[in-house]
Amino acid sequence: MALLEVRNLKKVYTTRFGKQQVQALANVSFSVEEGEFVAIMGESGSGKTTLLNILAALDQPTGGEVLLDGRALSSIPEKEIAAFRRDRLGFVFQEFNLLDTFNLRDNIFLPLVLAGKPHREMAARLKPIAAALGIAEILGKFPYEVSGGQKQRAAVARALITHPRILLADEPTGALDSRSSDDLLRLFEEINRQGQTILMVTHSVKAASHAGRVLFIKDGEVFHQIYKGSKTRHEFFQQISDALTVMAAGGGRHE
Amino acid sequence: MNSRLFLKLAVTNIRNHAQTYYPYVLASSAAVMMFYDMLYLYFSREIGGMADSSALRLMLAFGCIVIGVFSFILLLYVNSFLIKRRKKEFGLFNVLGMEKKHIARIMLTETLMVAALCIGLGLVAGILFSKLAMLLLLNILGLGASFGFEVPLPAVAITVILFGALFLINLLYNVVQVRISRPAELLKGGNVGEKEPRTKWLMALSGAAALGAGYYIALTTESPLMALNQFFIAVLLVMVGTYGLFTAGSIAILKSLRKNKRFYYRTNPFIAISGMIYRMKRNAAGLASICILSAAVIITLSSTVSLYAGLEDVLRTRYVREIAVYASEVSDENIQHLEQIVAEETKRAGIVPQNPVSLRSASLIAMQEGNVFRGARTNFRAQNAAMLLFMTASEYSRFEGVRADLAEGEALVYAMKGEIPGDTLDLDGFALRIRSRLDKMESFAPIFAKGIMTKTYVVITADERDIFRARQALEGADAPKLLNYEYHFDTQADRGTQVELAASLKQAIKGASIDGHADGREAARQSFMAIYGILFFLGLFLGTLFLLGTVLIIYYKQISEGYDDKDRFAIMQKVGLTRDEIKKAIRFQVLAVFFLPLVTAVCHIAAAFPVITKLLALFNMTNVPLFALCTALTIVAFAVCYTLIYALTARTYYRIVR
Repeated sequence: MALLEVRNLKKVYTTRFGKQQVQALANVSFSVEEGEFVAIMGESGSGKTTLLNILAALDQPTGGEVLLDGRALSSIPEKEIAAFRRDRLGFVFQEFNLLDTFNLRDNIFLPLVLAGKPHREMAARLKPIAAALGIAEILGKFPYEVSGGQKQRAAVARALITHPRILLADEPTGALDSRSSDDLLRLFEEINRQGQTILMVTHSVKAASHAGRVLFIKDGEVFHQIYKGSKTRHEFFQQISDALTVMAAGGGRHE
Repeated sequence: MNSRLFLKLAVTNIRNHAQTYYPYVLASSAAVMMFYDMLYLYFSREIGGMADSSALRLMLAFGCIVIGVFSFILLLYVNSFLIKRRKKEFGLFNVLGMEKKHIARIMLTETLMVAALCIGLGLVAGILFSKLAMLLLLNILGLGASFGFEVPLPAVAITVILFGALFLINLLYNVVQVRISRPAELLKGGNVGEKEPRTKWLMALSGAAALGAGYYIALTTESPLMALNQFFIAVLLVMVGTYGLFTAGSIAILKSLRKNKRFYYRTNPFIAISGMIYRMKRNAAGLASICILSAAVIITLSSTVSLYAGLEDVLRTRYVREIAVYASEVSDENIQHLEQIVAEETKRAGIVPQNPVSLRSASLIAMQEGNVFRGARTNFRAQNAAMLLFMTASEYSRFEGVRADLAEGEALVYAMKGEIPGDTLDLDGFALRIRSRLDKMESFAPIFAKGIMTKTYVVITADERDIFRARQALEGADAPKLLNYEYHFDTQADRGTQVELAASLKQAIKGASIDGHADGREAARQSFMAIYGILFFLGLFLGTLFLLGTVLIIYYKQISEGYDDKDRFAIMQKVGLTRDEIKKAIRFQVLAVFFLPLVTAVCHIAAAFPVITKLLALFNMTNVPLFALCTALTIVAFAVCYTLIYALTARTYYRIVR
């Protein structure tokens, strides 16, 4: 059974006053197996962020459903949804989303504190993660005192410390320089090798080329998907690039 | 760019910032209104025609100054807040190609509109309200209402000039703010990564020390004469202490709470403490101001209300009987003359004196150190001051109906307030042996109990010669060898007769060229009513104004907090905090921030209570339970207002955060 299963997802936004409707997702279906590293690509406005918000249970779909470990997100009562999100999902955002009132350590502890874990356990969990991410030295610093790359690694640590079933990343390299981006992507590969399932939304070909599979979304539908298989990263990069060119040239099913 | 465009831009700008501009306009108008009304009372013919008009006008002028100064500070503060929020918008104008002089012109147009609106609205409201203010004042003063209506031009002119200048200063401040900043900075506005505040132990400790010292002075000051000076020192210390503790102390406490890991790493404390550290950093000064303002409102209102409500008590303390006749250093013949005058005048008024008391005594102030008393002319020090009341043994016997056999050089001592150690009284070289001490002087005490402020001793000697010796020792050889005389009686007549009698007695005594005067409870009522009434009126007016200031500061704090917290809570929601948890965390912080000043203010008032009772004693107001009741009621009323304001502004806050 797939870890994450998305079936015929549909999302329509209605403007506040007019009857005008905007379709963000038309019909999206795919699944993610345990231990996979999947990238979702698409142009701005293709519905990537909407999809991620629905996967994160931050938004409700108009139609279709999402199953995590065989359980439909829509079946989880409103009261438990925050706890569910906290325990099963880890998030990494483009703009880091660290709280400026906490130092990095407390930022990483945040989900555990919310889950009511004792301090000793938090410290024990943090140790290996901080070491692996190379932020053990700067845990006491505040977000405004460290670089973008360090902030993003702290955000990754915050996402991983709950041992989530799946790590959702939204343009994680979007606000980073190229060196920090490379570091972060290698880090993602590394934690994926250790068994962490990752779903990443990006429009960077380079970022996507680190994944094991790339899904392309266009006009609210899954347009295409390619596997890395035994290809080198360079070959995979080329293939993704070609697929995007085809997509941009208008070779879609809708035209 | 034509002027119509500027006008249009200015109107749209103000409309877009309704949330922050409407309260500003309302508050400015209210300030204009109150200022005008106070000036109106000052200039009005009706007040000018009153008997005590100069004293009344002095108080009203004082009220005008306080309102003017306070409005000035308040509106400057609000303006600086408004412009901070709008920097981004001006940055955008700048980036879009508007020159700074164009921006200045927009600002000028806006300011002109807002100023015209506020001053116009305020004046109209002020003129409409002026009659009501007059009636209120007259009513409080216990005077009849009149029905004239006037708009004194000087009052209008001064109001327009003062508030015009205020708006001009605000405009200049805003133009300078935009001029000194660069577009990129303007666009960024307030969103610069904020540093965690450092713990300023020195400031926290000195704040605590200042507060402690202030409280100590307020709680330990004994003498009402000292109280006035001491009270100001205490107020200053408490103000400094409040600022110190709010700014540095709060952060020190929060940070030490954060060190306790088991306490800190739980949902509510975790979010609340980290949030509070920043909140206190940004708001400490504002909160301390709210605290001090609140304390000022409560103290002003409660003391003026209790003075006014306690008028009857005051009159009874001050006048043991309805009519009082005094003469200082008067001979026996003159006393007979005086008694004759009283007999004639009462007879003419058709009155038989009831419950009469008379007393011959001498009173003087000396500097006490242990059992040694020195003259007050040299080295006067308020904390050593002691009142000595001398009377002869025969007068005492007559008075109390108790025999007292005293030899020359002996004395009976009754300490009404204070203590004399040892068994002799050293009056700067002249010694009196204390034969015995009295525990009470029943019929005598009420006469001199009229709000005793300093140490007071009654000294009873064998005869008049010992009294004169004592006086010579303390006051020098030229001390008069005569005693004072006073005579009190009731009339059982109506108010008007009493007032007339007091006046006719006064006139007759003056005509007889005796150094004395007559006075009466009813005659005094009016002048007391005038003083306490105007104090009460000012208390009401200024209390309202201070409350207005508190409301504004709270409102703008809520808004700026709301914008700051918005992003933070959005992030927390993404990381897995439920809406309810967020709401709980917010509520705790907001409650803590807004009720901290109120709680602290109540603490300050509790500490100030004893010293204020002593200050009120200076005004002959000695009814402590009444004052306590007034204080409690004022605190409750204020807390209700405060909570109401909080509830209203909290809604704005939640709307922003959500």
